[in-house]
Amino acid sequence: MRKKLQEQIERLKKAGATYVDARWYPVEESNYLMMWNGNLKNATSSRESGVGIRALYKGAWGFSASSDVSNIGALFNKAFDNARVAAQRVTFPVRLAEKEAVQGSFSSPNRIDPFAVSLSDKISFLKDLDEKLNKPGVTQRVSELIFMRKQIVYIDSEGSEIEKKIIEVFPSIQVMGVDSQGESHSRKFSPALMGETRGWETVNQQLFSENAERIVREMNEVLVADDCPKEDRSVILLPGIMYLQTHETIGHALELDRILGYELGFAGGSFVTLNDFGNLQYGSTKLTARADATLPNSPGSFGYDDDGVPAQDNLLIDKGILVGAITGRQMVEEANARSHKQIFNGSGGANRATAFYRVPIERMTNINIDPGNDGSLEDIVKNTEKGIILDGDKSWSIGSNREQFHFATDIGWLVENGQITRVVKNSTYKGETVKFYNSLSAVGDQSTWEVRYVDNCGKGQPNQIMQLGHGIPVCRFDNVRIGE
Amino acid sequence: MKDQILQALRDLRDYALKKNIEATFFYHEEDSYLMRFANSAISLNTNEHLIRLEITAYDDRRRASYELITDLKNLDEMKQGVDITAEMVKHAMPLSYQPTVPTFKDSFVDENGFDSSLASLSNEERLEYFNKAVAGLETDDIKLSGIFSCGANTIAQINTRSEHTQYFKTSDAQISIVLSHSTLKWEVIAEQSAQKKSGLNPTALHRDLSYLMERYQNDAPQQIPLGKYDIVFGPAASGDLLSIMNWIGFSGGSMKRGFSFISEEQVGTKVFSDKFNLTDDPTCLDTFPFQRDLMGMPRNSYTIFENGVFKCFTWSQDDADEYGAQPTGHTVMHKSLVLSGGDTEVTTLEELVAMPRENDILYIPFLHYMNLVNPSKGLVTASSRFGALLLKKDGSVVVPYNVRVTQSVLDIFGDKVAWMSKSQTINNTSQSYGARNPTALIVPIFIQVNDLEISHSNSSY
Repeated sequence: MRKKLQEQIERLKKAGATYVDARWYPVEESNYLMMWNGNLKNATSSRESGVGIRALYKGAWGFSASSDVSNIGALFNKAFDNARVAAQRVTFPVRLAEKEAVQGSFSSPNRIDPFAVSLSDKISFLKDLDEKLNKPGVTQRVSELIFMRKQIVYIDSEGSEIEKKIIEVFPSIQVMGVDSQGESHSRKFSPALMGETRGWETVNQQLFSENAERIVREMNEVLVADDCPKEDRSVILLPGIMYLQTHETIGHALELDRILGYELGFAGGSFVTLNDFGNLQYGSTKLTARADATLPNSPGSFGYDDDGVPAQDNLLIDKGILVGAITGRQMVEEANARSHKQIFNGSGGANRATAFYRVPIERMTNINIDPGNDGSLEDIVKNTEKGIILDGDKSWSIGSNREQFHFATDIGWLVENGQITRVVKNSTYKGETVKFYNSLSAVGDQSTWEVRYVDNCGKGQPNQIMQLGHGIPVCRFDNVRIGE
Repeated sequence: MKDQILQALRDLRDYALKKNIEATFFYHEEDSYLMRFANSAISLNTNEHLIRLEITAYDDRRRASYELITDLKNLDEMKQGVDITAEMVKHAMPLSYQPTVPTFKDSFVDENGFDSSLASLSNEERLEYFNKAVAGLETDDIKLSGIFSCGANTIAQINTRSEHTQYFKTSDAQISIVLSHSTLKWEVIAEQSAQKKSGLNPTALHRDLSYLMERYQNDAPQQIPLGKYDIVFGPAASGDLLSIMNWIGFSGGSMKRGFSFISEEQVGTKVFSDKFNLTDDPTCLDTFPFQRDLMGMPRNSYTIFENGVFKCFTWSQDDADEYGAQPTGHTVMHKSLVLSGGDTEVTTLEELVAMPRENDILYIPFLHYMNLVNPSKGLVTASSRFGALLLKKDGSVVVPYNVRVTQSVLDIFGDKVAWMSKSQTINNTSQSYGARNPTALIVPIFIQVNDLEISHSNSSY
């Protein structure tokens, strides 16, 4: 197959394509198990294979993909034909930033391949968890295991050939209950990064047992709590919601294709402009954020992106100042040309596709916030006069340019004069992105820092679901509107 | 092709029967084309031809599924899938209820929604459509974005309980055109849905875009004050609000699991405005309907709300099995929701703007990034986008920056509904997550709801 792909790439080059690449997935597998109130509602596996072809002709992309590889020449022709038509409407001819030709490989670190574990063992794990969640106050209980395994062979017309073997594991549990007013509330747990591998060995019975007990207890506290007050307070965001705040208002806002207007027809743009790099005070000086695809053992670390560019650790926000973006080869060239200056020095290695039948676009890697110097969670609470600690991603809605947002969380704990006083329900907060990050008044130290996984980030048309990570400390923001 | 597909399914059925495996087979084939525009160029031009086969095996109360992306020529791979599913089901845990295995009483073919001329639209035709729709509207600052998505969708089913098959084939097109200012950042949209090639009408989109462009190019945008407004929702906004009720409203399973703002006790009671009449109408071809559900149950028009009175929940087979309810023909990939029009004669935005009004009216055509704040209360939040207008009571028109609405659908569709337009339109809500699944609702072009709160007002785009 590799030889056939090489031959077809050469053929299209001779026919006039300026660049061609192929992503061959010999196999991609998934396994999804979901137990709901003791019923194994989903026991699903999937398998797919196929090829996606990208061709560049006169500054325009064409793409085609198929699971049927019996006529690989026709598939390449289709991609080339699509590029030829696209070339009839070009305003900024696609140029790709320079890169080295790479012969490389990457494998997700894991000790026990989850696909080698028996279905019985997996179900037994879920059953045990379900029993632990089946406690007074719990009306609905859900336990899930998601496993993914894919092999990707990437070959391009610039001499790169890369093979990746990726394994992902996403376990989670959730409980729901109903309060005296008939309103549903939930609490959930999915583990943060543990250890140096992410195979079946990370599905840790002891960890889940402890957290099952905790989420049931906390949900029962929410069921008898008063509503979150409607007022301005300091909000202390635990990693269980701060990861999503970061994801939505730093991550998506700094995807360079969004900034350049390539998502305006669907997901939206960004309040960030090319003039903002090096200038915009995105947040307080306590805010340093990075796109780090070299972080070991996270779904946001993948060795090489789907442009064949090696994974990198790039600063996005340096002590509050915007300095970088989430980038691939095409967009950095266009951004530099449009701004008439060298904002970006080459691709940031963040162009990824979710499957062989989708085209690579700029995706988050691990969008992290560096730990700060404001101590532990206890220290931050002690130094908060009137605040609320928030955790759990219940709801999120963000403006089309990521300029404002509204979040709801699973639980809130009010803080008065440095003390946690009581739990509240229906907690929400909202804000304007730049104003909010400039109100960042405390960033927790390494003891508060966790890597949270995201298994379902959606972007693009046709839509692509991507897996990534966020390394996040506890953060406190001042004068935030809550309870609306 | 149909014969080839159905023969492959029959072969798989025979294979399963020989091995004494109880199984259902769900075949999905899509031939998808997407021309995507950004910055006034074609940013992506794709074609994906994918065949998915989902095999579900049953062993009394045990159930397991296996899905593969495959090819019709690859029957051996599909048979391996049957073996894998059969092995999985042995290890699955029994459900607490008896899952129903479909038994098709006869074979059923529905190709009414397929138009070969739409399915085989060429690249050049898609490009020509876009060029016509935006002719003369682009400038150095005003850039075109959007999609022309079209394709053919084929679904076929068989199971080991009967030799009968079900076969559905449809064609669809979803067009979305956005014009946006590259520095001022305003954006306006026009959309179209088509089930046949004859439904494509770039001139209509050109007219809609021209009208909005005139406003947005010539009027300075304003931050409007927080507070209560009489709001007119456009079709995309209404469609989104109705779609979310599939999840937290009238689904019987969601209600039983505590995710609905409607309780069992509210069946037969008034929940919404008496102007609110919602049906699931599979006879409406514009909704890309299923005339039978995936269990083989014939689907007829199904009234969900009548004059605001909640008539009944919808039940998929699996939810009905679990909760001891009667299935209602809603084991489908999507419903065919139709919200009846009202009695107000207004069809175009120009007519809406020209209507006499006693109060300021905020026109919101599109709600961006809607999410559930509190499903038990029906509380949702979203921001306006794509061409909102503030129609002042003195007859003038203001271009507002985007605003956020955080409201319960009980309020939005409750007694605050002032009027609905008599004219309806198609709102294509197709998503491209996973397999192609063309989906659309029929909604009044305009719905006015009085006295709704704006909780946030942007000071810029």
